[in-house]
Formats: sequence, C-alpha cells, structure tokens
Amino acid sequence: MTHPLYGTTAIAGVGLRQFKRGTAPLPERSLLVEAILDACAEAGLDPAEVDGFVSYGDDKNEPVRLMGDLGTRRLSYSAAVWGGGGGGIAGAFGVAAGAILSGQASAVIVFRALAEGASGRMSAAVMAHHLNDHLLAAGLVAPAQMCAIRAQRLFEHHGVDPRIVEDLVRASYHHGRANPEAVAYGEDFDIETLRTSRWIAEPFRLYDCSRENDGAGALLLVSAERTRDLAKPPVYLLGCAQGTEAGWGDLMENDADALYATGGFRPVARDLYAQTGLTPSDIDCVQLYENFDAQGVMSLIDHGFCTVENAAEVIRFDNLIAQGGKLPVNTAGGNLAQGFIHGIGLPIEAVRQLRGESSNPVSGARTCLLAGGPGAPTVSSAIFASQVL
Amino acid sequence: MNHRLDGADAPYWQGLEQGRLLLPRCAHCACWLWPAGHRCASCGGIGMVWEERPLRATLYSWTRTWHRFGFTESLDLPYVSVVAEVEDCGVRLMGRMDDVRNGAGPDNPRIGEALVGRIGETVVGDDRIPTIIWSRAA
Repeated sequence: MTHPLYGTTAIAGVGLRQFKRGTAPLPERSLLVEAILDACAEAGLDPAEVDGFVSYGDDKNEPVRLMGDLGTRRLSYSAAVWGGGGGGIAGAFGVAAGAILSGQASAVIVFRALAEGASGRMSAAVMAHHLNDHLLAAGLVAPAQMCAIRAQRLFEHHGVDPRIVEDLVRASYHHGRANPEAVAYGEDFDIETLRTSRWIAEPFRLYDCSRENDGAGALLLVSAERTRDLAKPPVYLLGCAQGTEAGWGDLMENDADALYATGGFRPVARDLYAQTGLTPSDIDCVQLYENFDAQGVMSLIDHGFCTVENAAEVIRFDNLIAQGGKLPVNTAGGNLAQGFIHGIGLPIEAVRQLRGESSNPVSGARTCLLAGGPGAPTVSSAIFASQVL
Repeated sequence: MNHRLDGADAPYWQGLEQGRLLLPRCAHCACWLWPAGHRCASCGGIGMVWEERPLRATLYSWTRTWHRFGFTESLDLPYVSVVAEVEDCGVRLMGRMDDVRNGAGPDNPRIGEALVGRIGETVVGDDRIPTIIWSRAA
C-alpha cells in the first residue's frame, strides 16, 4: 500500500533572503515576511491564503505575529518540530504535510529565520537548548565541540581517514563558486585554506565548521492536487521521517556504542526508505546538512550511500559534484559554501534542483534526499521528487 | 541550595562536593542508569540507589578546544575535554583532562587509554561546578 505521504503534497514556491552575519538590512521578521512573499509570488498564491506555518530549531518568530504583514485571514495551524538544532528541518515538511492531508490547513509555509540582532548567535541558541552543568563543567559549551568529540571517535576508533572530509568541503565550494547567491560565489577555494585554518576544537579547524548567515527561507507546501492551479511545476514530497530510537538521544554521551560515531539517522533512513520503497541508488542528489564536515560524512553513511569501510571510495570530489558525479551533494554549496541559515537553504536548493533551476544542474535529476542536522538528539530526513515515480 | 540539587542527578553533585563519585543503579534489577532518571526501562522498577565508584575510567573520546567560547573564560586555552567510561559500570561521564602535550607519553589522548580522576571545579560566572579532572594513568 502506498504511504499516505507519498506524492500527496508538493512545494509550490520558495523564497530565500540571505546576508552576511550581522548585516541584514531588515529586522529578522521582515526578512521572513519577504521570503514568504517571494514563495507565494512564485506559486501565484495570495499570501493572505496561507493558513499554516511550521518551523524547527527554536525559531523565535511565532506565526501569529506574521498575520498583519501577510494579511492572513485565518491562521488554522502553527507548529514546530522539537529540538534546538537543525535536526528537525526535514521533519517540518512531514508536520506540514500532516496538517494538509488531515484537512487542518491547506497552504502551509515551512520557514526558518535568523538574524543576529534578534536571535543572537545561532550556535549559542542551539547550545542554550542543551546546556547543563555536566557540559559546563567539562568546558563543552558549543555544537562544534560536541560534534568534534563524535568525529574524533569516528576517525581514531573506527579508523575513517580524517582527510575524507576534504572532498566533501571541496565539492561544496565547487558548487558555491557557481551560485550567485552563495557566500563562496566566484571564489577559488584552495583546500590548503582548510588545512591551515586555526583550530576550533580538535579535530575541527575553522573551515570544517559551517559559519552562520543572517536571513530567512520559506517554502510553500500545498496538496499535490492544488499545485495544478499554481504557477510553478510542483516538487513532490515522497516521504519524511523524524525522531530517534532507543540507544540515541539526549543521553549525555551515553548513546549505544554502535551509534555513538554516527549522525543519528539510522532509524530515520530506514523508515524513509521503507515508506517510499526507494533505496539509496534511487536518489539522484543529496542536500546534506553539514553543521560540521565530519557529521556530513556520518550522515551519508547513515543514509546508506556508503559504509564506514568504503566511505573513502564514495566520498570523492569527482563523485560528489553535479557535473558527472554519481552522488551530487549540496549543489548550491550547502551550509559551508552557500550559506547557513540553520539549513533552510538546503530544501530550497532541493526544489530548485528538481525544477532544473540550480546553478549546478544535475542532469536528469528526479529525486533529491534532504538530510537534516546530524548529531542532534532527534533528526529527520525527507525525499523530494519532480514527479511521483 | 543550588540548582544542581533540583534534579534526578542531585546525589551525583552532592557526592562530588563530598569528594566521592556516586552513580545511580536501579533499586530492583541493579542496572546502571545514566543519565539519572525516575524509572528503569529494563525492569520497570521505580527508584534508584546511589553507589560510590572509584575514579578510574577508560577514555571514550576527546577534543582539545582552542577557540574561546562563551562560558569557558576560566579555562586556559587550549584545554582538553573528554568522555570517560567509568570502570566496571559502563557509565560515560563528561569531564576535563590534564593536557598530555609534552608529557612522557604520546602528545594526544588515546581512545581506550586508562584514566584516573580527581575532583576539582570549573568556574562559570559566579558558579563553581564540581568537576572530575582526569589524567593519564601512570
């Protein structure tokens, strides 16, 4: 039996406003309103008709406060995925689809907005969600450090070559270089920049870490049926899974030994493939949330694109780029080279890629997997497609 | 009274204040429960007993921090943070470790190496948090 989420809702419009951290020309909520207006304009839908909103990662913009600017007539659904990190990003689409399919809303905006003036540093906000005296006593106060400890075990104990991350970083910058919206647009990235950048928390140097931007992103989700009346070709949601399983979670580093050096996606990936009947070989490109490059590697392993043993054979620059790679990853540049508004640029690139609008088009791409923030206590993933396969 | 005494892990913090490492076990099936909670998911029993453990562990993983993050102002850079698996109970604790650079052995901590701990403190703002500081076992 086909899963209820399979191809029954679709993204009809996207909007993205991105600026260097601390330089947004508008207040955070205004940026968000602009992104929502852009998404609605793309779709040809009156923003006043949006009746649902879903976010993640402790976004500060409660949807009811958007009503005035958008002219919202009826707000019938507002929700957020729990969790302070980017783990919930893909899950937000499942929540939005659930609202639509159960008749609780008909046009739902999935969004994330972040400007330093209003929300402070995102990394600090993520960590405030988790901080306790056990962490403070150990001097562990930032996502970079928590992810560094997991990465150290992946490299030192499981024997994955630390250099593996470099191909992922190079592919991100390669894509960002061609994307006019990317922070790395037009830049020639030399991997020596990473190798010689300052230590943050071993094994991470500065360029192993995503760096935050100001901005806002919004995606308009409607029923697949409704997209027929809208302007843009639909990008269908084929499946979505979120959460965790026993042995992973908010366990103060007491995760199961076999799961400790992963991104936490194993149950999510399993459910996502079971729901959709798809396998990793059916995925034409991946938008991969890399808060830190090693966590991106873990996420690719968790989703079955490679294993700990053959990761170095799969995670190669030539294989990760849109131009001829079998596993094109982060085709707009990703969090590292496109920009980082808590990951909201990733689903937007998924949509653009599947519409054929990407700066780095993947020839014939029909499916795109979105992997949410790895290493969070709860994570999520989704699969989008240009047609219902 | 401080906020460390509000939670299920209050005996852990009280123990450290008194110079002892106390960890919780299920009062019924005796399995170790960490983070401290209310109910044992293995047997369904309610209630924990706290047992003292020696400050011996193996290194599970580590990071050496070079960037000055907020809340770490009292710690000299760089400093080493670890996840240490306490001997004979499998409980992993976060803590700090004396840096081993320029010591007798390898310059980096080694996952799996034996650690011995002492109880110190970490100053965060006006608070002094009891902290296990691990060293490479001789």
